[in-house]
Amino acid sequence: MLEIKNLNKTFGAKQILRDLSVQVPASSIAVFLGQSGIGKSTLLRILNNLETADSGAVILNHETLDLAHIAETHKFGMLFQQFNLFEHLTNRENITLALEKVLNYAPEKANQIAQELLQKYGLGDRAENYPAQLSGGQKQRLAIARTVALKPQVICLDEPTSALDPLLTNFVADAIQDLAHDGFVVLVATHDTALLERLNCQIYLLKQAQVAETANSLDLRAHPEKYPQITAFIKGQHHQ
Amino acid sequence: MFDQLIIFISQYYPQFLQGALVSLQVAVCSSTIGFILGTILSFLQTSRSKILKVLVTFYVTIIRGIPMLIQITFMKYVIFQAIYPQASVIYIAICAIGLNSGAYLCEVIRSGIQSVNPGQIEAAKTLGFTKMQIRRYIIFPQAIRAILPALGNELITLVKDSSLASTIGVAELFKNGSNIRNQTYDTFTVYLIMGCLYLIMTTSISFVINKLEKKLNKNYKN
Repeated sequence: MLEIKNLNKTFGAKQILRDLSVQVPASSIAVFLGQSGIGKSTLLRILNNLETADSGAVILNHETLDLAHIAETHKFGMLFQQFNLFEHLTNRENITLALEKVLNYAPEKANQIAQELLQKYGLGDRAENYPAQLSGGQKQRLAIARTVALKPQVICLDEPTSALDPLLTNFVADAIQDLAHDGFVVLVATHDTALLERLNCQIYLLKQAQVAETANSLDLRAHPEKYPQITAFIKGQHHQ
Repeated sequence: MFDQLIIFISQYYPQFLQGALVSLQVAVCSSTIGFILGTILSFLQTSRSKILKVLVTFYVTIIRGIPMLIQITFMKYVIFQAIYPQASVIYIAICAIGLNSGAYLCEVIRSGIQSVNPGQIEAAKTLGFTKMQIRRYIIFPQAIRAILPALGNELITLVKDSSLASTIGVAELFKNGSNIRNQTYDTFTVYLIMGCLYLIMTTSISFVINKLEKKLNKNYKN
């Protein structure tokens, strides 16, 4: 269970997150929905030590984490919009480098883990290729494999469909569902309502630095009238 | 004339070759010092410390703003005269040219560091790499690839600039050639052979760098 309590963040005079609190059980997906610049990515970046929160607490499985050193715990992993793979390393090395240098695994063990993950994500025959030789979908799978290799408990995905062909939305949705099925807490920041429609998740609509409305995706589909703000946001996105 | 050239080369080739080897030695050793110094300076310059940035900028400005000939003679007749007068002139020349090269390479390497996609650095942070590990395993290998042509140019420049070491008595190609000219008074042939030897050295370096660049660029792109 991941608990985020009263998280605050300002950039200059602008309040990005105000007393944001959410609870996400293990093996489940939380989607943070909202317009660009509303603070969805900032939330994920705080959880991965790329930004510093002004105040608030993050509790993972009843353990309060030190936000200033959260990356050192290896409990959070992040998948970026542009994948941010290491272009100078082979696909295998993209996975083994952190295993060897961060977790101090022996090269043989790191290679074995990498090979298993590459197989799992359909890249078994591309181990010695470079990221530039992969398609967008394959790059995303490699990025997932690289993150999963470190066995984090929470995986954050920042706009996972924005750099991909819209036809790949189904694939991304399946990959996210699989991560939750594998036991990870999955946090997704997106404004892609097509992706949202394919996920079984808890939705948090962010507005004015706060959670304006929350809904379970199944209930939202059955009773959209119960969630006027989220429904309006989805309709608005469809009309754009 | 061609026969005369062959006779001339067969008579003096040991001095020419010896000089060319010393020129290469000065260029390679000083570029190695320059590369190490340039790497350290560029990381200091991209650090958060304002004092370090100012110090590096000061060093680069001073070194780049003064002719290398002055730096070489200053190094021999002022610095080494004061601290270690018995030092071999070749080491003094390597030291002076290396310090000069470091200032130029600092700027080159800094541009290479800044060419690395910041997203990769963020990804490395989230994977738990330390700052030093990010520099060593992520930034540096990619920066080197980006600046390889500029590094090759610097090495070529140093092969040519090694001739300035002759002013403090280093027996490199230009010095040995000048000695042969003083003995034979055949300026044309001596300068022709020296020019050809410099050209062979610089085009060989260029060829190797091009091959290396193609190999590194074969499998990936930014």
